Amino acid sequence: MIGPSRVAELEMPGAAVETAAGRPAQSYWNESWERLRHNPIGMMAGVLILIFALIAILAPAFSAVITHFQPQSIDLSATFRPPGATHLIGTDELGRDTLTRLIWGGRVTLGVAFLTVGIALTVGTATGMAAGYYGGWIDDLLMRFVDTVLAIPAIFLFILMSILIHPTPITLAAIIASVGWGSVARLVRGEVLSVKQRDFILATRSIGARDFRMMFRHLLPNVLPVLIVAASLGVGQIILIEAALDFLGLGIQPPTPSWGNMLTNAESYFYHSAWLVYFPGIMIFVTVLASNVFGNAIRDAFDPRLKT
Amino acid sequence: MLAKYVARRFLASILVVLGVTAITLALMKTTSGSYVPGIDLNPSLRPEDIARLRADLGLDRPGWEWYATWIWGVLHGDFGHSMIDGSTVWSHVADRLPNTIELTGTAILIGVLIAIPVGVIGALRHGTKTDHTMTVVSVAGFAVPQFWMGLILILIFSVTLEQHGLPWLPSSGAYSAVNGGDFFDRLEHLILPATVLSFFYISTWSRFIRSSMLEVLSQDYIRTARAKGMSERRVVYLHGLRNALIPLITLIGLELPGLVSGGLVVEVVFGWPGIGKLAFERALQYDYTTVMGVTFFATLLVIAGNLLADVLYGVLDPRIRYG
Amino acid sequence: MTQPLLEVNDLHTVFKTKDGTVKAVDGVSFELNPGETLGIVGESGCGKSVTALSIMRLQRPGKIVGGSVVFKGHDLTKNTEEEMREVRGKEIAMIFQDPMTSLNPVYRTGWQVAEPLRLHHGWDAKKSMVSAINMLGRVGIPSAAERARDYPHQFSGGMRQRVMIAMGLTTTPAVLIADEPTTALDVTIQAQILDLLRHVNREFGTATLLITHNLGVVAGMCQRVMVMYAGRIVEAGPTTDVFAHPKHPYTWSLLRSIPRLDAERHEPLKPIEGLPPNLIDLPNGCAFNPRCAFRVERCSRDTPRLLQVGDTQRAACWVTQSGAELKGA
Repeated sequence: MIGPSRVAELEMPGAAVETAAGRPAQSYWNESWERLRHNPIGMMAGVLILIFALIAILAPAFSAVITHFQPQSIDLSATFRPPGATHLIGTDELGRDTLTRLIWGGRVTLGVAFLTVGIALTVGTATGMAAGYYGGWIDDLLMRFVDTVLAIPAIFLFILMSILIHPTPITLAAIIASVGWGSVARLVRGEVLSVKQRDFILATRSIGARDFRMMFRHLLPNVLPVLIVAASLGVGQIILIEAALDFLGLGIQPPTPSWGNMLTNAESYFYHSAWLVYFPGIMIFVTVLASNVFGNAIRDAFDPRLKT
Repeated sequence: MLAKYVARRFLASILVVLGVTAITLALMKTTSGSYVPGIDLNPSLRPEDIARLRADLGLDRPGWEWYATWIWGVLHGDFGHSMIDGSTVWSHVADRLPNTIELTGTAILIGVLIAIPVGVIGALRHGTKTDHTMTVVSVAGFAVPQFWMGLILILIFSVTLEQHGLPWLPSSGAYSAVNGGDFFDRLEHLILPATVLSFFYISTWSRFIRSSMLEVLSQDYIRTARAKGMSERRVVYLHGLRNALIPLITLIGLELPGLVSGGLVVEVVFGWPGIGKLAFERALQYDYTTVMGVTFFATLLVIAGNLLADVLYGVLDPRIRYG
Repeated sequence: MTQPLLEVNDLHTVFKTKDGTVKAVDGVSFELNPGETLGIVGESGCGKSVTALSIMRLQRPGKIVGGSVVFKGHDLTKNTEEEMREVRGKEIAMIFQDPMTSLNPVYRTGWQVAEPLRLHHGWDAKKSMVSAINMLGRVGIPSAAERARDYPHQFSGGMRQRVMIAMGLTTTPAVLIADEPTTALDVTIQAQILDLLRHVNREFGTATLLITHNLGVVAGMCQRVMVMYAGRIVEAGPTTDVFAHPKHPYTWSLLRSIPRLDAERHEPLKPIEGLPPNLIDLPNGCAFNPRCAFRVERCSRDTPRLLQVGDTQRAACWVTQSGAELKGA
């Protein structure tokens, strides 16, 4: 993990410390950003995700201006068209434009993924922070609970919950996050425990800072790098899970398109419309790859000592 | 020493099991309070049936009684009955579990057998083109959706080959219903799903072994080993790899719990008759109790798997058990 | 006059880095005679460890780019890897600074101590273990037979270093290189280990090359000493002479900087001014000159060579080579 001691050492607001080589040192965040900037592949991956996210947000605009189709508009006279002039990536079994559905599908997939990360991070951080900071029985209780939740195989839990709760993008995000938060909690707790030992925490305590202030102003910034790395690496995994659930029919229900559910019946189209099988899968692959690469780049940027 | 360590881990596991049962209880109660799951969607059930089911499931009884009965049942291997056809969860599980283990076990085996050499080569040749290529492939492999890969492989090796009159691999089931069941038949059916499943392991573990090896090879005791005048081979494999494998065992140990659940998607895509597919099929029928029972069973296996992994780690790293 | 056991001639070892080439060993020459204990002293980064590693040809990723290391008549720098393996651990043994990280954590100590015997003498497991246990006893580990079955982490720091020493001596090598053997240990344990090394030197007749940054260690252990700075030897001679009247300003400053029990109460410490040099970009002339209290104009122009100064010592200094004495407050 990223050494919190490193963060503490370099986190001197505005201090310009002379290093032996005579260069002024920068703050930890600036240094990390510099390292990230100098990682071309990582930056490209990050930009790619940004582009996908933008396209997803602007999906309605794309529909109106570029593809001129809505994701759910059926045209039974144009089923299984191959890629061509009007339909850039062809159509599916109901004559819906594949490109449009890919764009809107990305909107759903990315939307669920980011929402899931948001929920998992929030709940997980709060739990981990409380457990690490207060220690004692609160720590025991919370962590036993986390252990328990993490003991249940995730995929079974997802299946179970999706027959209990009707899966919409929001409930799906909650379902997937219901397991993810556990890992985040453990991670945060670990970081808090090591940061807690640092002298500056003792010092701040000794001047009478209250718990909340301690947690927000002092512990959280030190925990942030780890969270950011976990989030970027986690997005990829979440997209894969979400796509799998959609594919199985237990996630986003048709006709709302998502990359996963566009593949549910793909097997049967393969003979004549192979692109219907390739494209959604490729989109998933590229997005997950980009997020993994970017996640690695961020991790290397925050702690180059971990690089191999 | 080892016994004490194992006892400690075992006790911790019991606690987690109890916690899981509590969650199970909570889930059952929250839903049973508002409706009996799935009943609404089954138009052929009459009110008498619904009432009978509610009684059957013990949803009328107070929480404690239900909990106690249920725990008692579990201790006797009774994980509940199906809401749909009354069959016991245990019968299904007993039937399907070996298949799942066959699949996931093979995938893990393939994963280990390929990941270790790939990782070691990557470490020994780090910085070279070979290493970079392997890294790229690993990183890519990590991003491929399992179900999609399964689909593509079926489409290539099963459907397309058959289309072109070439020998093809079966696309579903664990063995041929017609004249199958022998070793080679089962093997044929195992290849595609096990490959897909192992892909993830290979990607992750080879990277891991690589960095573990690199770290180990930079340790002082490796320098000592070289100073003792042994061949580089001996240094790397006897002194190096032995240390580098320890964290991998932990990693594999972490996968052991996933032995039961990890293959769910692959099972569904390949029609493999395992526990995952069972849960899926039953979920589609809203057979809540079966899914519940299977989930709980799987959880028990996860906890047992974690315990096993801890023990293995203790065996392999003397610092843990003598520490 | 016996033949020297080990003769290092004008050794040059470099490390290529992205910032430039580091001249870690920049023309080092010395001899090690049978049975004697020679000390190499200097601060971190002066090249003493790299010199030792170069003798063993374990200097990777560094490269030996010049000079020779003659051991029993053969130039080790010209050996193949195969040939070096016959030397390492068998004829020349090396022990390292941190015994915790230098011993393999997953193998029992007895097994590790016995390993060189299995490797070099081809002995079987049983025979080599008996010998290993014997050696463990001789280096002062009580209940050696039981302890041989223990793992490194079950030993204390001092005991581990004894294990390392035992491991180095099992094949009764001609030379033992000890790289900072006591630096990682408590002061009281240090004394014990040094006693052991002295004892071993007497009993086995092993020539010892002792590398350290601690002048006190040198004083108690070595008949001759060499002082290194920025990859070069700046002074060499019998320990008593070098300590009594150092002929190089660096040695002189080092000796002065050691706090003394008999100093005046409010006497300020006398550190050496300035920072160690950048080995990629050494100053012109004498590498020590920016920090030298005695420098003259020539020092920043020409690099002094290691030449005889006084009866028994050699020093690389323009000032002392011209006959001046080093004195100061």
